[in-house]
Amino acid sequence: MSEKHFRIALAGNANVGKSVIFNQLTGLHQHIGNWPGKTVEKAEGTLHFKGYTVDIIDLPGIYSLSTFSIEEVVSRDYIATEKPDLVINVVDASLLERNMFFTLQLLELETPLLIAINQVDMAKKKGIVIDYEKAEKLLGVPVVPTVAVSGKGIYSMLETAIEVIEQKRKISPLKPRYGKEIEERIEDLVILLSKVQLRYPARWAAIKLLEEDREVEKKVLEVSPEIVATAERFRDELVQLHGHSCPTVVSCERYQVANSISDEIQQITEPLKAPLRERLHRVTTHRIFGFPIMLASVLAVFIGIFSFGDFTSALLGDLLFGLKPAFDSVLGTGIIGELVWGGVMEGIIGGITVALPYILPFYFILYLFEDSGYLSRVAFLMDNIMHKMGLHGKAFIPVMLSLGCNVPGCLGCRIMETSRERLLTAFVVTLVPCAATSVIILGLVGAHVGIEWALALYIINLAIIFVLGRIAFKALPGEPTELIMEMSDYRIPHMSTVAKQTWFRLREFIVMAFPLIIAGSFVIKLVEVANLLEPIIDVFSPVTVAWLGLPAVTGIALIFGVLRKELTLIMLATLFGTANFAQVMTPVQMIVFTLVAMLYIPCVATIGALVKEFGWKKALLITVFEIVFALFVGGIAFRLLTI
Amino acid sequence: MNLPLTSLRNGESGVITSTDFSSEHGGMCGHRGRRGHWRKRFRVARFGKRLCDLGLTPGTKVTVVKSAPFNGPLEVSVRGSRLAIGRGMASRILVDVER
Repeated sequence: MSEKHFRIALAGNANVGKSVIFNQLTGLHQHIGNWPGKTVEKAEGTLHFKGYTVDIIDLPGIYSLSTFSIEEVVSRDYIATEKPDLVINVVDASLLERNMFFTLQLLELETPLLIAINQVDMAKKKGIVIDYEKAEKLLGVPVVPTVAVSGKGIYSMLETAIEVIEQKRKISPLKPRYGKEIEERIEDLVILLSKVQLRYPARWAAIKLLEEDREVEKKVLEVSPEIVATAERFRDELVQLHGHSCPTVVSCERYQVANSISDEIQQITEPLKAPLRERLHRVTTHRIFGFPIMLASVLAVFIGIFSFGDFTSALLGDLLFGLKPAFDSVLGTGIIGELVWGGVMEGIIGGITVALPYILPFYFILYLFEDSGYLSRVAFLMDNIMHKMGLHGKAFIPVMLSLGCNVPGCLGCRIMETSRERLLTAFVVTLVPCAATSVIILGLVGAHVGIEWALALYIINLAIIFVLGRIAFKALPGEPTELIMEMSDYRIPHMSTVAKQTWFRLREFIVMAFPLIIAGSFVIKLVEVANLLEPIIDVFSPVTVAWLGLPAVTGIALIFGVLRKELTLIMLATLFGTANFAQVMTPVQMIVFTLVAMLYIPCVATIGALVKEFGWKKALLITVFEIVFALFVGGIAFRLLTI
Repeated sequence: MNLPLTSLRNGESGVITSTDFSSEHGGMCGHRGRRGHWRKRFRVARFGKRLCDLGLTPGTKVTVVKSAPFNGPLEVSVRGSRLAIGRGMASRILVDVER
């Protein structure tokens, strides 16, 4: 074998610069997908170094290896069962104690380990000096200082990693010890566990049993119910001894070990003056200044994106529609030509003129905000308001995304911790008026009825979101969760990491949404060419004409809107033969039509995103509910407005 | 004085005495009632564990920096890190304060 192949996993807390290290290591050779069967992102990359081929897996940022979130379970299962050749634990130099708490758990998993103490430059500025040699001696594994953003220490980290894998370096990892009462019980359990077959190291499994870990308990129960019963008895005894629940006691003692290690290896001298990032934090979370700053930044982002988007979108549209004569000359203007152009090409053009001009800058700014640390401040400020719709602060981020486009909104629900929260947030997100919906609201009602009516529609939409969110929150089984979130220090975003995140997100959007938009537009074109539009108008007329009081042709417009919502307006203009809607529709009709268009269905790309994240059943449920609900609200509005 | 974290003034510190979310729901380890009850206890305990993982263990000094406007979450400083904690959860963390 000429080339050796290794697997290295990166693990660590959130916000320690892990993804920057991942980018430094893998450059453009990366692949971002999902963990099989889970909606947890999996980032993999390949690296060639001194004749070695190394696969790098970036595990999600987590604080513990318990079962709090899907991310934690994914990470520990990967380490315990896939057994990478080495785990590089990325540690924030400024927060050694909490990071060591995680390091200790990796040591308990008995995985080959290397510790990269990252952002040492920032720590130095905070007056933290770390003794790496002492750290290495105490932990028994190699410790390398790094500054990921500038690439400092990455090379020597890799060299050390290879040395450890090739066993050129003697290591004797620390076995974290607990207090006497716990340690005795761990040892008893280890004796019992070593007699059975288990995928996990015996000592780790013993500790997890004392921590009431349901996943490990389930696995042990399969092989030996007696061990679980013994563990339960031990837990009861420990509760009696310590007066706290067993997981608390174990965490507490683990933190004591983390504390004594971090105390030994670091010296802190507090800087005298509060640094800029600290003052920035105070201002952006201030009870008076916080909200205006947030409002101003969100508005600036939206105005910026929309003016950039409108301009670029028009430019791209003109450019691409300029291709039509060339197409016509090749395929002719017969049925085939019309199907290819009107069905396939217009779908592609529609996708391009939306994705590039709006979604690209949108994602870029989002990741810029996230990487800098501002998004967590926004979540902090918005927590209380989000509670009113049954969610918590973090959910504001997908909701904000949805104002641009519901698709990134749905995908953004991944930041919520539990599957219940994810589904609730996604439901709310699909009700948020996206940019295309805003085009309808402003272009139809705003332009032809009055801007105050457009505003009223927004307010009605907001009220509906609050009420439905609240109801879904009550109806969905499971305990509500609350905000627990770290607000890490502000930092200057790492541009190439942000750019890569933007690119991978954009690609995800294109791969998911484009086929749906194109297929949908092809089907509708087919219906049109086959002269089926008229019969469809008739089929829908009981709903559109009798129940909603709209002109019959609106049925067609609403069908087109499934592709992309702004198409309802474009189709309406085509069908009426005029864009001056005031001539052909009454104000009440325009309001009712907009109300229905606003609520009636998540567009086909959003449905695709829902299917991807939650499966067919839930996606269908949300879609059907929203169609019925929109028609119901539209009918009521028609009757109220014509009294 | 043993107080919930939410009743601390801005800038005030205390030592955590309890984060046992499970005790409120009657029964600790090994105490299993109806199935629904068990599930509830498990879920609630899960968040107690989360707080521990983030460093909010009994015996730890915690400082309330401020609370977000309109009765929003608390910003606390613990073990050198800055956390945002929802009010409902913060009210169940008991701390010993010297006043």
